[in-house]
Amino acid sequence: MTFVESTITFPYRRSLGPVIGQFMSGLTEQRIVGIRSGARVIVPPLEWDPETGHELAHDFVDVGPAGTVTAWCWVESPTSQHPLDRPFAFALISLDGADTSLAHAVDAGTIDRMATGMRVAPRWRADRTGHITDIEAFVPGEQPVLPTNDGGPATEPVEMMDYRASITYRTPVTTNQIRAEQASDAGRFLGLRCPECGRLYTGGRNFCPIDAAEMHEADEIDLTQVGTVTNYTIITPVQYPGQTETEPFARVNVLLDDVDVVVQYQALIECPNDQIRIGMRVAAVWASEAERGGDNLTVDGNLIGWMPNGEPDVSDPDLVNRII
Amino acid sequence: MSHQPCAIVGIGQTHHKSRRWDVSLGGLVREAATRALADAQMEWGDIDAVVLGKAPDLFEGVMKPELYLTDALGAHGKPMFRVHTAGSVGGSTGIVGAHLVETGRHRRVLAVAYQKQSEGNAQFALGSGKGASIGAGGAFAPYMRSYIHRTGAPKDVGPMVAVKDRRNAFKNPYAHLRIEGISVDSVKDSPMMWDPVHYLESCPSSDGACAVVFTDKKGGEAAARAGRPPAWILGTAVRSEPSNFPGRDPVRPQAGIDCAADLYRQAGITDPKRQIDCAELYVPFSWYEPMWLEGHDIAAVGEGWKMVERGDTEIGGAFPVNMSGGVLSSNPIGASGLLRFAEAALQVRGLAGEHQVDGAKLALAQAYGAAAQYFSMWIVGSALDSAS
Amino acid sequence: MDGTEEIAIIGWAVTPMVRTTDKTEAQLLAEVVTDAVADAGITRREVDFTCAGSCDYVAGQAFSFVSNIDALGAWPPKSDSHVEMDGAWALYEAWVRLQQGDLDIAVAMGSGRSSTADPALIYPMEMDPYYLAPLGVDAVSFAALQARALIDAGITTERQMAEVAVRTRGDARTNRSAQVSGVFDVDSLLSHDFVRAPLRPHDLPPITDGAAAVVIARKDRALELCDRPVWITGMAHCAELHYPGMRDLRHSPSTTSAASWAGIDDGPIQAAELQTAFTHEEPLLVAALGLADDVPINTSGGPLAANPIMATGLVRIAEAARHIRDHGRNRTLAHATSGPCLQQNLVCIMEGSS
Repeated sequence: MTFVESTITFPYRRSLGPVIGQFMSGLTEQRIVGIRSGARVIVPPLEWDPETGHELAHDFVDVGPAGTVTAWCWVESPTSQHPLDRPFAFALISLDGADTSLAHAVDAGTIDRMATGMRVAPRWRADRTGHITDIEAFVPGEQPVLPTNDGGPATEPVEMMDYRASITYRTPVTTNQIRAEQASDAGRFLGLRCPECGRLYTGGRNFCPIDAAEMHEADEIDLTQVGTVTNYTIITPVQYPGQTETEPFARVNVLLDDVDVVVQYQALIECPNDQIRIGMRVAAVWASEAERGGDNLTVDGNLIGWMPNGEPDVSDPDLVNRII
Repeated sequence: MSHQPCAIVGIGQTHHKSRRWDVSLGGLVREAATRALADAQMEWGDIDAVVLGKAPDLFEGVMKPELYLTDALGAHGKPMFRVHTAGSVGGSTGIVGAHLVETGRHRRVLAVAYQKQSEGNAQFALGSGKGASIGAGGAFAPYMRSYIHRTGAPKDVGPMVAVKDRRNAFKNPYAHLRIEGISVDSVKDSPMMWDPVHYLESCPSSDGACAVVFTDKKGGEAAARAGRPPAWILGTAVRSEPSNFPGRDPVRPQAGIDCAADLYRQAGITDPKRQIDCAELYVPFSWYEPMWLEGHDIAAVGEGWKMVERGDTEIGGAFPVNMSGGVLSSNPIGASGLLRFAEAALQVRGLAGEHQVDGAKLALAQAYGAAAQYFSMWIVGSALDSAS
Repeated sequence: MDGTEEIAIIGWAVTPMVRTTDKTEAQLLAEVVTDAVADAGITRREVDFTCAGSCDYVAGQAFSFVSNIDALGAWPPKSDSHVEMDGAWALYEAWVRLQQGDLDIAVAMGSGRSSTADPALIYPMEMDPYYLAPLGVDAVSFAALQARALIDAGITTERQMAEVAVRTRGDARTNRSAQVSGVFDVDSLLSHDFVRAPLRPHDLPPITDGAAAVVIARKDRALELCDRPVWITGMAHCAELHYPGMRDLRHSPSTTSAASWAGIDDGPIQAAELQTAFTHEEPLLVAALGLADDVPINTSGGPLAANPIMATGLVRIAEAARHIRDHGRNRTLAHATSGPCLQQNLVCIMEGSS
């Protein structure tokens, strides 16, 4: 099996609203804040009663700092997202004065120190920003553990929170895609013909979406590598984490010669953006041996893009409608 | 028996902005939901089921947010459902909610759709984090180029739509964009983002939510007697087609045509331009207005742009479109479809305030998604027999 | 449920369940839809409505379901929808849609390639974004907390949990679609180290790639097409508040509600397929459903034998239907779940022809 890896990672920035903001501000002050709902105190605080949905008045009350463990589990091998990098417990902790349990880590050291009903108290982080991990973890005992070199409370109410999620995915590269890539190594542009309707597809697709018919090696056909630009756009890049472009770049649609195939959103090589014309004749450009491989297995293998080949433009008013 | 009337008795939406940093995710959806409940004169406890819709979770980095939002939307002890059909999702959300009432499954359903795009980045999310994301604009630009060409439409038509919708937005207290002094020239002078589409011809990235309360015939009639006229659903339809096969026409997609035909059949519409009073259509880029006028058989093929040029689609025109300012003025992607559906309902209830079309009795709403391949549509009327 | 159209399951298919497949999600779906419509004796063209369940974050791609639409043969364009939920909920939407009475046949699908990424890193993202996700609390940790609550309350023991694992994986030997099956010994399993105390490796589901599709039809068409339609007599779902520390983890009231709304009290259940990804969930759900002691549970092996996330619940529905169509039972129950500590639950009750 062949796989391609890709990582989705983004620095999300969340606004907290008035209630979560109050809780997070409280954490910087080494306070754990709950919210009243009728006779109950909800921790961690929500803007609404969790059972009825009713909006809650901003009636905050301090809880804890100590509490009782109502359930726990032992994490022998922490993940990269866990708050501690040595074995620890996740626990539901009923803080004194609260009617619901807070989920957090307990840094008990060994599993033998954990028990339902044990008392725990927070160990505060020195530099608190208004984040659930301002509590580094809970520890066995009644007394909070204060840091040396305490950074002190936030100077302004906490309103935002950062969250970085990073997940790496391994998705399979199908046999058809591999064959298309291998063919491109040999300078061939491979298409697949649906055995039922005869339509042609590029990019190592596995089946025809019209018939849901599978396409295999026997359905492969060499496509022409010269074609005509039917449509295009020029994109002004927007900056975002992961953006690779800095200058306006073009994407063209190319109708291949002799076959009913349009390749969409292709890169255009060696042609200034202001000289793109519908009807322009272009030829496929393949990555050189040196340029090949790497992590970027594109759907069209080593095809870098399309370059004007100097032939006279095709004049056909209907070309622009041939988008797909 | 299995297809009962369904009334919309409550509508709510947030103030859409580029950044709603004053609220949490829960706060954002509740703002819309509580307005809808207030409009319906209901409490959280009156709702039997909740349907949530939004577009990709990569926008906010919260997976399956219906889980976190269950209690925020008063759904503890109730069925909670999450729909995701790309850009058309807001519409699908409304349709799923309506069906729950139409089939007699539930009496009162709350449908909510939202997007809090400021927490992430839209271009990042649309491209799944890869570089050189062409975005929705880049994907649709060739379609719009083709439309302009095949119709011979003058280049100003797109900018005219952009101006109309932003001027309408001033009449909608919830709309995001408020562009003072916008004009066809200022639109044409704005940067070219996805040739041939200028910056001011494209939708914003918004934080926002929309909520609708559905109930049955009895509930709708009670609301009417109490002086709070409902909107009645006269038809709903969805269609999808594959994105990519040789010869597909993404400018005039078959799925959109089939969806509209199905919808009109249900609602007894044989002459859409004459029978329908106004429409809220999903127009994220200016040229989509004439394109969808044709796609919905409101204008003949090749003639949608003429309606724009003549001013037909202005609020006071022959066929008003996007009186609310549309997607061009507010675009929390997951909510935008439901906003179209809700705005159509506001029109036939006579509750659209400054952007009300006088005497609107029958309104069309549409949303689309992905490579113009997912469609959701509905027709609402001020009475169950509005089409006749 | 008065006035409900009579709708039956007339066919289904489940892919082989494997640790890692080299097929894409769209391929899995294409194959399973082909097999399901064949099982139902129809073609794709005859399907009036399709609904898929899948998850962008499991697939690693925004709009991942869009490429999945290629599996449907959606040309001419189809009436179609998608839920970012397990395929069981896709079936629920399809079932509701058919009750409008204008369409005859629908297909619901669920697809999940869980091998794509580490579930421990993905699942924290479905938790409360402010209080839980930043702690990286994953689904297994939450399950372990619930197990602890059940053990503390005397509702189950580690030994009983191991017995569930032994029984289900033993039963799975007769299921061609099971990934993990075999004869295991309770004491031997209990001798292994904890993964997340009190959970040991045997208490956890495997990581599975797979997909499922189920075909339903309204009464007249069902009777035309199928000798032994499996009638859905009730289907309902119910959610609880999200934050596990605010719930009583020893019980599953939403399962009880969903079952009641689905008509569980209308007759005895003869077999049940429950989405119990973790062993301790079985006694909890059996109690919530009020199932008698002699009701066979998860004879397919259940999720402990194969757990294709986003399809697992739909597979339970297919397996419960199999009991009726292929094994002569008359009334069975399928359960699906979503969210930490069984936050949201769906119950589907089905019967053979009377």
